[in-house]
Amino acid sequence: MNMQTTSRQTAAEAALIDAFNQHVGDLPGNGAVISARDRLVDDLKTNGLPTRRVEAWHYTDLKTLLRALPAMQPAGLVAAPAPLVETASVIVMQDGHADGKASVEGVVVGTFDAMLREGTAAPGLSVIDGDDTIGKINGSFVRDGYVLEFPEGVEIEQPIEIQALHGAGQIHTRFPVSFGAASKATVIERHVATTDGQAFVSSVSDISLEDGADVTWIVLQEQGSSDTHLGQVRIRVGADAKLRLFVINAGGKLVRQELRVDVAGEGADLQLRGVNLLGGDTHTDVTLVLGHNVPNTTSTEIFRNVVFDRARGVFQGMIKVALDAQKTDARMACNTLLMSDDAEFAAKPELEIFADDVQCGHGATVADIDDNHLYYLMARGIPRSKARAMLVNAFVAEIVEELDDEALVEALETVISGWLERHA
Amino acid sequence: MAAVQETIDQVRQIDVDQYKYGFETEIEVEKAPKGLSEEIIRFISAKKQEPDWMLEWRLDAYRRWLTMEEPGWARVDYPRIDFNDIYYYAAPKTTSGPKSLDEVDPELLKVYEKLGIPLKEQEILAGVDKPRVAVDAVFDSVSVVTTFKKELAKAGVIFMSISEAVREHPELVKKYLGSVVPTTDNYYATLNSAVFTDGSFVYVPKGVRCPMELSTYFRINEKNTGQFERTLIIADEGAYVSYLEGCTAPQRDENQLHAAVVELVALDDAEIKYSTVQNWYPGDKQGKGGIYNFVTKRGDCRGDRSKISWTQVETGSAITWKYPSCILRGDDSRGEFYSIAVSNGHQQIDSGTKMIHLGKNTSSRIISKGIAAGVSQNTYRGQVSAHRKATNARNFTQCDSLLIGDRCGAHTVPYIEAKNSSAQFEHEATTSKISEDQLFYCLQRGIPEEAAIALIVNGFVKEVIQELPMEFAVEAQKLIGISLEGSVG
Repeated sequence: MNMQTTSRQTAAEAALIDAFNQHVGDLPGNGAVISARDRLVDDLKTNGLPTRRVEAWHYTDLKTLLRALPAMQPAGLVAAPAPLVETASVIVMQDGHADGKASVEGVVVGTFDAMLREGTAAPGLSVIDGDDTIGKINGSFVRDGYVLEFPEGVEIEQPIEIQALHGAGQIHTRFPVSFGAASKATVIERHVATTDGQAFVSSVSDISLEDGADVTWIVLQEQGSSDTHLGQVRIRVGADAKLRLFVINAGGKLVRQELRVDVAGEGADLQLRGVNLLGGDTHTDVTLVLGHNVPNTTSTEIFRNVVFDRARGVFQGMIKVALDAQKTDARMACNTLLMSDDAEFAAKPELEIFADDVQCGHGATVADIDDNHLYYLMARGIPRSKARAMLVNAFVAEIVEELDDEALVEALETVISGWLERHA
Repeated sequence: MAAVQETIDQVRQIDVDQYKYGFETEIEVEKAPKGLSEEIIRFISAKKQEPDWMLEWRLDAYRRWLTMEEPGWARVDYPRIDFNDIYYYAAPKTTSGPKSLDEVDPELLKVYEKLGIPLKEQEILAGVDKPRVAVDAVFDSVSVVTTFKKELAKAGVIFMSISEAVREHPELVKKYLGSVVPTTDNYYATLNSAVFTDGSFVYVPKGVRCPMELSTYFRINEKNTGQFERTLIIADEGAYVSYLEGCTAPQRDENQLHAAVVELVALDDAEIKYSTVQNWYPGDKQGKGGIYNFVTKRGDCRGDRSKISWTQVETGSAITWKYPSCILRGDDSRGEFYSIAVSNGHQQIDSGTKMIHLGKNTSSRIISKGIAAGVSQNTYRGQVSAHRKATNARNFTQCDSLLIGDRCGAHTVPYIEAKNSSAQFEHEATTSKISEDQLFYCLQRGIPEEAAIALIVNGFVKEVIQELPMEFAVEAQKLIGISLEGSVG
């Protein structure tokens, strides 16, 4: 292992800096925002994109994997897809732009563009730590997004679907969302490519749950087969709040989904679930950093991955228990099915524990489909290919079934089985 | 139960903060000047009467080392090491190597006596029941004595210090040295390649089952010296050998560096069992002093159906940075790693293993038990990978951490990489403190708290202790008890 002390700027790195220099004039934002952007771009200029030597990016060497960037201006939009759940309230982002007139009953809806222009967005354009490359890129280029505020005690029955639709080009969006105390809602954050052209997407959801909020947040990523998707969900969870966070990856060429969760209030309870459907030449990385920072909190994390073709999957899951976070109960599991000889998967489930009165564990498996299960089905006259498909489907659908909302479960199962039919 | 009781008694007898092996011995010593340079390397090589190729090998490594940077990825924290403030060569003053025990400095023999290591063959031979163990004792930079050489030679087993082997069996050394851990491997391994002073060499010929346990005891005695030993073990086709190393050092205020390299080569159907009881001086209660233990250990299952098994009990050292690994190159080869890592006081451990599956139908098993007490930090870092051609690779990993006290940290960092769909990897890890229920159960039966904890800890590490040769299992259990001394209450 040789240390490389100096490194050349890559084409993609140069393109990022160039794009910023060219377009800084037409990015929205007041003085405070502009200086925040400048700081982030300077950081990118000095440190470049992360390589495998950066531990947090060990399996996703962005410097090598990100080859080139598409033009800044997105283009090529077609019609919006139907919402996952028929009764959902839909708000649409088109090519990275929010609709200023969008509204959802019971929720205060604003645009991030307005926040940027007013300058109230400036403090949020910061990075979580030095490894937060997504925060750097998104903060430098972000144009728009929805700002949602769920008032205290509000209960929204039907899911809210944010449709982030785009064609080719660069799209940088941000969704600051606050759930007031004891509010209750389900939000679907859906990223969909509507054309085959190459897109470069960065998206940050900056979410806070006040005390006692009860929230289901679903990220469904269905980018095109040549797209780069750099997604980040930052969540702060308050006391006695309940969070169900589901992340489903079913597209994209180079994908990194970062979940940065700060469990900040006692009595908080989290269920984090992930389904990664990987096929073709995709490189998909899900990185979770979960900080249990106060006593008496619980969490479970289950990630299921199915890897076809020449796809490469990565799961990095870090549970951190802070010094005084006694009585933490955290369990994480990551199970992977490798469906082809050219498929690869790397898992790094980490525990970092500084408190002693805790129960923490993780498990990880990588394997092919269990021969016994296959035999069981085939013995009942089900052909091999169908039996395999059934088992794979069951393996991932199990996760989705934990959701309470039946219509939502059905919709997500349709997405999953549709994807599997196309790839199996 | 007897062993458990012994642990408890041992713990009671000993004052808090006492390191049993902390004595220093006044022995006349010959040292090379402080610091590191080509001259020093030439000096070491000349002292060892090495052939030219060996010197060149060292110099190559040294030049390479100059271009390298110290790794910073491990979860350990220490001030920068001044590599020019270390003596790279220190040897008890004797002219040429001792021919028999009578020629060895009596002070030295006392050292080993104090350590409880029998060097006198006849004593062992007299005790009919006692298992026989051949010992190679390394004091600072040189091997002082190797026992049972003749008897081993009868079986065809070569067991000697590596410096002797360089002179007497250059063809074997040339063929295998650096073939598992190349001189370019990592910062400390490269440093070791340049300056290694002594260590053990074992060659077990085809079809031979080594008739006794082999063991090496390492002792750092001199101030400001670094110990850089190099061990090379080769098990030829169908051979079997079990090897144990133990290490101790005097109590000192400053830190001392220990950067060893161990290479194991197992050919077709061969098996090597390597056990370590590492008890370097861990520093005092305030975290002052102690050994920096930066070690590269790697086994190469080069032949089909070969097996390498690592067992380690780590209780000493201020900082441990060590990943005994297996390269499963041969088809149907097997790697095992059993570890107990105990940290107390200000100790920092970053240890684990690598299982690199390259051949077909290879399997590996990892059992790691970490126990953290005091304000120590205990990290398991392990890698399991299956190469694209490693069909039917199997791994099972279990790493459990036990926390004693609320100021220590336990961390688990596994890297699981599968590039073959027929690979089956299972990994599980848990972290918790001693179960209240178990403790209550013991206390309620009148077992005092400290004894109860020793009992529970011994239960926690049982799976690993079982893997140790019997006589060392008892020693290891005692050590764990002593290491955790003062961590309760």
